[in-house]
Amino acid sequence: MSPVKDRKPLYLMTPALAWLTAFMVVPCLLILALAFFRRGIYGGVEYVFTLENLAMVVDPLYARIFLKSAGIAGLAAGIAVVVGYAAAYAIAAMPRHRQPALLFFAVLPFWSNYLIRTYAWIVLLNREGLIVHLFRWFGYEGELPQMLYTETAVVIGLVYNYLPFVILACYAPLSRLNPEVAEASHDLGASQWTTFRRITLPMTVPGIAAGFVFVFVLSIGNFVTPALLGGGQFQMIGNLVYAQFLTANDWPFGAALSMALIAVMMVLLTAQTFASERASGQRGRDA
Amino acid sequence: MTQVLLSLSDVEKHFGRVKAVDGVSLDIVENEFFALLGASGSGKTTLLRMLAGFELPTGGQIVLDGKDVSQVPPNRRPVNLMFQSYALFPHMSVARNIAYGLEMEGLPRREITARVGEILEVIQLAPLANRKPDQLSGGQRQRVALARALVKRPRLLLLDEPLGALDKKLRGEMQLELKRIQAEFGITFIVVTHDQEEALVMADRIAILKDGRLLQAGTPREIYEYPETRYAADFIGQMNFIPVTRTGGLLFARNGARIGGVIPAEAPESLVAAVRPERLYLDAEAENVVTGTVRSIAYLGLDLHLHLDTPLCDQPLMVRLTADAAEGRDITEGAQVTLGWSARDTRVFPA
Repeated sequence: MSPVKDRKPLYLMTPALAWLTAFMVVPCLLILALAFFRRGIYGGVEYVFTLENLAMVVDPLYARIFLKSAGIAGLAAGIAVVVGYAAAYAIAAMPRHRQPALLFFAVLPFWSNYLIRTYAWIVLLNREGLIVHLFRWFGYEGELPQMLYTETAVVIGLVYNYLPFVILACYAPLSRLNPEVAEASHDLGASQWTTFRRITLPMTVPGIAAGFVFVFVLSIGNFVTPALLGGGQFQMIGNLVYAQFLTANDWPFGAALSMALIAVMMVLLTAQTFASERASGQRGRDA
Repeated sequence: MTQVLLSLSDVEKHFGRVKAVDGVSLDIVENEFFALLGASGSGKTTLLRMLAGFELPTGGQIVLDGKDVSQVPPNRRPVNLMFQSYALFPHMSVARNIAYGLEMEGLPRREITARVGEILEVIQLAPLANRKPDQLSGGQRQRVALARALVKRPRLLLLDEPLGALDKKLRGEMQLELKRIQAEFGITFIVVTHDQEEALVMADRIAILKDGRLLQAGTPREIYEYPETRYAADFIGQMNFIPVTRTGGLLFARNGARIGGVIPAEAPESLVAAVRPERLYLDAEAENVVTGTVRSIAYLGLDLHLHLDTPLCDQPLMVRLTADAAEGRDITEGAQVTLGWSARDTRVFPA
């Protein structure tokens, strides 16, 4: 860079930074600090240093819940990426002037409340719900499997809720593709499928990675969807944290679990940031 | 007689009610450097895309090597296209970009490596083989795009505004470079361009397109010296147009001066006579003579460009005099100058 580096107006960030620091970073650190203290006998916190809480996190009982949460979040993220990428691809292939409207419809669910949308799935999935009625209406008389309060319901709920993020994340790189690049591949002898596999897909990996990590991170810590659609049949790590703070009254252990969860998220988000920077960072590195 | 490689007969492309290409018939021979020249919207790019296979003609036939390829998809034609944007694969190195088309042919790796190495030498980019496109200059990217298409040894190479993105100096060098490479590889080139100078310099033959129609095809000299339409005369190079009226077999300018020129058969009464600026010279004895006032002078070293107000027409007459011819004459702004030109340099078109 040249010595006369332009002075960026960093001070414009001050209000936002101050807000986040005062109302998010500091409270979070205070809660996380609890992880290093002992739980009081009648709840509350005894200010004696200990690593017991953190040790308990890796206890097989809790580690299993961690893995299970990661599995569900991974599955939800995987499905959301496949479905969302296909939708984004279709939108990006439409005439330019139609695309804003389609994107608007894709994110439309965000305009309503998360809880209401999740409750709507209860209406759809329950034993006398719309989906069951639909099967009956088509003449299916047999026994239908339990849909609500299953792992499947949780995955469906998570995919549904976070799909718009994936569509937006994948749409961005897809819409920036120069159509001539895919044409060049076709012209050089590649079929449409080979062109997709070797040209379009690799060029849009940053969007896919961003979408996947986004859904994964939001899903693994989610506690509303497992609580409502999982019906307490099983716990995800978010529910466990929730329980420590609000029912078990074990704030230090809750803090330790949160710390582990945040660490997982940080690692993933950092990896994704680096990966996408690497993918786009080739631009003008040494022209 | 040279072998016809590509034959277009009555090729049409209609988008709804818009006729982008309208009944184009054309033969292109082996080893030819052919230019499709036209303004934007003339249909030249649509025509090129039909040759590549990205657009299917709505009428007519495209015959390549004796086979009708009108409906053959791009990946199955022995034709390659160098895109205006170059369309390099940004996630692949220079060498991988060039190898891509050969991999699609399923060639053995050893042959691919050899052919990629060979063409990298031709375009003088061997040291940059492992660079990504983003790490190349515009001129280097252009050469990679050319190599990527050439390495497949197509029967026909299409180039869409190949020099459009380069600066002026580089463009001049690349014009000659493209001609050299075309001769070296012995591949037929079809270049789409809106730049008439580029077409004149590079092409063996030029076709002028307007509103989806083929106006005229011929060698650069034929096109320049014997334009068949007023549009072609105006589009290529500079041209003075003088409105004239036909009375019997004679032409008269609006000031009553007689203009000598060859009148086309069945010409209407209202015509324009056209003469190139370099065909006017300082001579009061020529077949056609005009006296005018010098409005402006541009001195370009080798020659002198004048704008002359004359009674022949509203537009000032453009005149290009060689430095020799102007030597010792009193040519200054406001001076009266008498110029002449010969009847055989006059082209006559319907007004």
